[in-house]
Amino acid sequence: MYGQKYSNLKKLVLYAIVFTYLVFVLFPLIWLVQSSFKSMYQALKIPPALIWRPTFEAYQKALGGGMLRAFLNSAIVSLSNVVLVLVLGVSAGYALANLKTKASQNIGFWILTVRMAPAFGIIVPLYIILRSFRLVDTIFAVMVAHLTINLPLAIWLLKSYFEEIPSELAEAAIVDGATRTQILLYVLVPVAAPMIVAVSALIFLLSWNEFLFAFVLTSEAARTVPVLVASLAGTMRFDWPLMCALSTLALIPAFVLVVYLQRYIVRGLTFGAVK
Amino acid sequence: MGVRVYWPPEENKLSWQYKFLLPALLVLLSIVAFPTFFLFYVSFHEWVLFKRGMPFIGFENFSRVLTSSEFLQSLKVSVMYTFSTTTLTFILGLGLALILNEQLKGRGIMRTLIALPLVIPPVVAGFAWKFALNREVGVIGAFILPAMGFMKSLLADPSLALSSIILADIWSKTSLMFLILLAGLQAVSPDLYEAARIDGASSWQLFSHITFPSIKPAIIIALIIRFIDAFNVFDAIFVMTSGGPGTATQTFPLLGWKIGFLYFNLGEAATLAIIMLIMTIGVSIFLIRRIT
Amino acid sequence: MSKNLLKVVGLTVSLALVISLMSLPAGAAKTGIRVLVFAQGFAWPELFGSTGVDETERLKQFEEKEGVDVRIEWGDETAIRQKVAADFAARTGRYDLVLVGTDGGVQTYGYGGFLEPLDKYLELYPGEYFDPQDVYPQFLDANQVEGVLYALPYYSFGAGIMYRKDIFDKYGLTSPKTTDELYQVLEALKSGLRGEGITDVYPVTMRGAPGEEPTLDVAGFVYAWAGYPAWFEGGAMTPDQIKEKKAMPIFTGDFAPGFGAFVEICQKYGPPGISTHTWVDMMNIYAMGKAAILMPSAINAYAALGVTEDEQVKKYTRFAKSPTGSGGKQIQSFWTFSLGINKDSRHKKEAWKVLTFLMGKESMQAFAERTQWPNVTMKSVLYSDVLIKRYGLEEIKLNEESILEAEPFYFPYIPELNEYMDRVGTATSEAIAKTKPVEAVLSGLQTWALETMLRAGYYQK
Repeated sequence: MYGQKYSNLKKLVLYAIVFTYLVFVLFPLIWLVQSSFKSMYQALKIPPALIWRPTFEAYQKALGGGMLRAFLNSAIVSLSNVVLVLVLGVSAGYALANLKTKASQNIGFWILTVRMAPAFGIIVPLYIILRSFRLVDTIFAVMVAHLTINLPLAIWLLKSYFEEIPSELAEAAIVDGATRTQILLYVLVPVAAPMIVAVSALIFLLSWNEFLFAFVLTSEAARTVPVLVASLAGTMRFDWPLMCALSTLALIPAFVLVVYLQRYIVRGLTFGAVK
Repeated sequence: MGVRVYWPPEENKLSWQYKFLLPALLVLLSIVAFPTFFLFYVSFHEWVLFKRGMPFIGFENFSRVLTSSEFLQSLKVSVMYTFSTTTLTFILGLGLALILNEQLKGRGIMRTLIALPLVIPPVVAGFAWKFALNREVGVIGAFILPAMGFMKSLLADPSLALSSIILADIWSKTSLMFLILLAGLQAVSPDLYEAARIDGASSWQLFSHITFPSIKPAIIIALIIRFIDAFNVFDAIFVMTSGGPGTATQTFPLLGWKIGFLYFNLGEAATLAIIMLIMTIGVSIFLIRRIT
Repeated sequence: MSKNLLKVVGLTVSLALVISLMSLPAGAAKTGIRVLVFAQGFAWPELFGSTGVDETERLKQFEEKEGVDVRIEWGDETAIRQKVAADFAARTGRYDLVLVGTDGGVQTYGYGGFLEPLDKYLELYPGEYFDPQDVYPQFLDANQVEGVLYALPYYSFGAGIMYRKDIFDKYGLTSPKTTDELYQVLEALKSGLRGEGITDVYPVTMRGAPGEEPTLDVAGFVYAWAGYPAWFEGGAMTPDQIKEKKAMPIFTGDFAPGFGAFVEICQKYGPPGISTHTWVDMMNIYAMGKAAILMPSAINAYAALGVTEDEQVKKYTRFAKSPTGSGGKQIQSFWTFSLGINKDSRHKKEAWKVLTFLMGKESMQAFAERTQWPNVTMKSVLYSDVLIKRYGLEEIKLNEESILEAEPFYFPYIPELNEYMDRVGTATSEAIAKTKPVEAVLSGLQTWALETMLRAGYYQK
C-alpha cells in the first residue's frame, strides 16, 4: 500500500473486493432504474423480466405538473446550504484549529452536540418558532434547519484539515503583512481546496436527501424531492414505478456532480506542491 | 537590517479566533436554544395533547419511561442496531477508502459508483429494500433467495429483521464513511510513506504509525457522525418494517415518534429525546477520549 | 479584515433572503384553505390531477365561484401525523382541513377538542355539493363521537371477502358463510395447493404489521367471536359508559378468542411475511395472484384489480359477505377516509364549503369512475352505471348489503383510541411472529390497559 507497486495478484484481490461491493451497491440502483420503466404489476413480477416492453408512464407523471418544482427547490436549498455552511464553517473551522485552549475543545464538542438531538424531539418546537416568524413553507426555513445538521459536520472536517496544514504557511504570510482574513482567504483556502470541495459535495448531498425537516417545514411551495417521493407512498396506494422514476431523475444531477467533483479531489494539491 | 516581526494590528491574544467563530456559533445557538429549552421544560410536565392542562410532574415522566418494557426493548434494539451498523460501515468504508486511495486503474469510476447511494434519499432506499426483500413479491426475497434454498422471510422473521434493516443502512451509509475517510487519507503526504519505506517499514507499520494517527480526526468525525445518525434513523426502518415484526426492530426514534405523534404524549416524547441526547453525548465523549 | 468578511456575509445573507422571498407563495385575493391529506394523485384526481399538484379547470371553477384558494398538501400517513400533531400542539390552525380516520383520528382529535363539530354547519349551510341523505348512515355514524359529527367521509369501506372463483371451483369450494366454514375452506385450500406442489400461492392474505395497521381487522374478528365489542366489561364503548360501569379491560377475557383466531389464521394460512404485511402488501400479493382469499377489508382486492395484469385475477375475483362468527356477528372491517375542520382554523365557513365540495356527490362519482372501486359513500354513486357495468348488479347489491349490515361501532370510541389501536396491532404482530405466545401478549395488553385507565382516572369514585 501507500504508493508502492503492487504485485498483479494483490491488485486482483483488491479489484475483486471493490467489485463485490460494487455489485452490492449497484444492484438496487439498477433495479430502481429498471422499475421506473415498468408498470406496477411488471415491477412486482417474479421472476423479474429482463426483457420487457418499457413504458414511460412513470416518467410522464414525474415530469408533468409541479413535480419539477420540487427539483428546483431541492437545488436551491442544497446550493444555498453549501454556500452558507462554507462561509460560516470555513472561518469557524479555521478558528477552532488555531484555538489550542480547553475552551476550544468544549466549543468544538458543543457544536457537535447540536446535531445530536433526535428529530422527533425537535420537530414540534422548531415548527412553533418558525410558525411564529411566519417562516413555515419557505426555503429559508429548510435552509436554517439543514444548517444544524450540516454545519457541525463541516466545521469538524475543516478544523481537522486546517490542523494538518503546517503553521509556517500562515506565519510566512503574517510576516508579509497579511491580516487573518487575507491569510484565510488567499493562502489557506487554496491549500484546503480539496477538502473544501469534498465538504461542499457532502453538504450538497446531505441537504438534497434530507427528509424530515424538509417535510414538516414545507407545504407545497418549498417542497423538496424526498418529500415529494415519500408523499407518493400512501397507505392505500403505492406507485413504485413513479417513485423510481423520480429517484432516477434525482440521480442524474447528483451523479454528474459526484463525477465532476470526485475528479477534483483526486487532482487535489498535496503538501509537496505547496512546499 | 533586522527583520521586524510585524503583527496585524487587531491581533490581540486569541481574539481573532473568537471573531471567526462568532457567526457560526450565533447561528447555531439561535436555532437550538428554544428547542433545547422546550424539551427540558416539557419533559418535566405532563403534556398529552388530547387532555387539558399541562401540570408539573417533576421526574415522573423519566421514571415512567425508563421503567417501561418498551424502553428496555428499544434499548436492546437500538444498541444492537447502532453498534452493528456503525462498526460495519466503518470497517467497510475504511477498507474501501484504503484500497481506492491507491493508484489503481479506474479508481475514479469506482469511487463515483461507491458514492452513489448517497444520492438516494434514505426513504427511497428503505422502500427499495423493503420491496426487494419482500418474501412474496420481492426480487431478492421471493426469487433469488428461495432459488438458493433460503425459505425464511427476511423482514418478518424476528431474528432476521434486524439484520435486514442493518443491511439496508450499510448500503445507504457506507458511502459517507468512505468519502470522509478517503478525504482524510488524501491529506496524508506521500513523502511520509516514502521516507518510512526507505527505512524499511512493513505495510502494517506504515498503517499503524503513519496512516492511522494521521487520519484519527477523520475517524473520530466519521464514527461520531455515523453513530449519531444510526442512533437517530427513523425513515428507512419505519418504511421497511414499521418497527416489526412486533417490536423486533423498534428503535428509540420509532418509539419516540409513536409516543409523541401517535399517542400524543409530548411530555414523554421529550423525556425520551433527552435520554437519547444524554446517551449520545456520553458515547461521543467516550469515542473521542478513546481515539485521541 | 472585518470589511471583507462583512461583505461576504452580507452578500450571502442577501442572497438567502432573495431566494426565500422568491419562494413565498404569491398573495391570494381569495381565502386560502389548507388541506392536509395523503394519497397524492389518488384522491380527487379530477381536481388536482393524477400528480396531485395540478390545478384543473373544475378546481378553478369552484375556487372562482366560492372565492377560495384550495391549497392541498400531501404526505404519507406517517409524515402527516407529525404535521397535524405539530399544528395541534402549537394551536396555530395552519391546516383548515385535516385528514382523520375513523380508527383513532376522529376519536382522539374529537375528544381532544381539535375538531370543529359539524352538525350546525349541516343545518345552517347545507350547500349544493353534499347531501347527507344520499350517504349511507353507517359512514356518517362512524364519524360521530357521542353523537357529534366531526368529519365527512370520502371513500370508505365495509367488510367482505374477496376470493378467486377459479381456485375455489378447482377445489370444489363455495364462499364461507360462517367462520367454521371459513376454517374448512382455508384448510381445503392449503392442502389442495400444497398437494399440487404450489408453494407461492397462499390460502389467504391478511395484514399483521405492527402498529395500528391490523387493528381494524383484529377488532372485527374480536367482534365476530364475542358477539359484542369485547374490549371493556359489558362492551362499554364510551368514556362515560366505562366510568359509569367501572368497566375493566377484558383483553384476557372475551377479547381473546377473536384475537387468537386472527393470529392462528395468519400463522397457518397466510404468507410467511404476514407479520409485517400492510394494506399495500395485501393488495400486491392479491394482484400478483398469490392469494386465493383476501379479507376482511375487501377494498384491498378492488385496489388490486386496478393494478393487476393477471387475467385470472381479473376475471375470477368475486365478492362475498363477511362470515359470521360464533358470537353471532359478522367479521367487521370498517373505515372511512374523512376530513375534519380544525378547531383553530380561521376560515371555518370557507373550509366547510371546500369540505362539502370535496366530499360531495360529484367527487364521489369521479372517484368511482376513475378507480372503479365500489367503496363509495353514496347510494346513488354505488348504483351508477360505471360500477354496475363493471361488477354486475348482483355484486353491487352484495356490497350494499355488506354496508347496511355493518356495525361501525365495533370497537370503543375513547380519546385514548390511537394508543389502543397501535398497541393491539403491535401485539398482533408479535403474536403472529411468535416472538411471544398469544397468552403472554394478551396479558401484556391487559396489564397496560389496566394501568392506563387507572391513571387516566376512569375508575375513581
